[in-house]
Amino acid sequence: MLDAKTERLTIEKARRGDRDAIAALIHAYQRPLEAFLFRLCGKHELAEDLAQEAFVRVIKSLDRFDDQYRFSTWLFTIGKRLLVNAQQKMKPTADSEIVEYRAGDARTPLAEVESAERVERITTLVDIAIGALGSPQREIVLMFHQQGWSVQRIGEELGMPEGTIKSHLFRARRRMLFAIEQSGSPNPSEVLQ
Amino acid sequence: MPEPAGSSRAQRLLVRVLLALRSEARSRPQSLSDRARAEALADRIMLELPRSVLPIGIAALFIVGVVCLMPIMRDAIAAGSDKQGSTVASVVESGLRNQGAALSDGIGALREVVAPFAGEGCPSALENCPHDAPPCDAAAPFSRS
Repeated sequence: MLDAKTERLTIEKARRGDRDAIAALIHAYQRPLEAFLFRLCGKHELAEDLAQEAFVRVIKSLDRFDDQYRFSTWLFTIGKRLLVNAQQKMKPTADSEIVEYRAGDARTPLAEVESAERVERITTLVDIAIGALGSPQREIVLMFHQQGWSVQRIGEELGMPEGTIKSHLFRARRRMLFAIEQSGSPNPSEVLQ
Repeated sequence: MPEPAGSSRAQRLLVRVLLALRSEARSRPQSLSDRARAEALADRIMLELPRSVLPIGIAALFIVGVVCLMPIMRDAIAAGSDKQGSTVASVVESGLRNQGAALSDGIGALREVVAPFAGEGCPSALENCPHDAPPCDAAAPFSRS
């Protein structure tokens, strides 16, 4: 992620058609956006395609970007809209189908330090926990726990009071806990090593 | 339906799940594959950017065309205004003629007024006019011998 000042400078350069600045913006936000969209739709290829499309749209319309707002918020909003449009065109994916995350994927940081088997276990747990959530709890959990956004920022993005966001987070964590318990998950000692 | 609070084991697993979730979105500056994908997408966007500039190019061409056509348009406008100008000129000319005619009428009227006083008894003002005599005669005080 870029800090606010670097981000603003990079956006300025990208506005003037600086290719390296455009590449820097993409590099900074491609992975977070793909991860966010993947956890919402459950399909890697779709998430990658939508993330690319979101970047194309955002960078082509950089002139209209208001510096008062966060670039990532704008990018994620467009990505989410593209996902909604794509989902309206295709058959909706049931929550239980979201077990597509490939174990030992070379792009997962965990893969670099843990064995493929352990990664597979924890990945399955993530799938189960996230799959137990509906809308808008899934989105809120992803924004908070995956993207690291503040409660205030999530509230502004979704147009909800902070109290409602906190309440959703609390309920979502309870629901995920319940789903993990019910899943007959692996021995925690194996996962937590 | 409220879910149970969960065992400590499940809670530890949940923490692990949330940490794993966080790691999914962490961008890796050193990742060559991530950088290569970003570069490829930047190249694609750079290729597509001129298409968005196309309407501006068309507008620029239109302006150039208008500028090039301006002399022709100016001539056409000038030709149109010439027709109007000749009409104005004829109106002015006829007006002047009318004024001239009125002036000559006025002179005629003045002559008619002056005519009774220009009889035989009255010396003509023109008679003593030195302009009628040649300059050498007019200057001579005595008749020539």
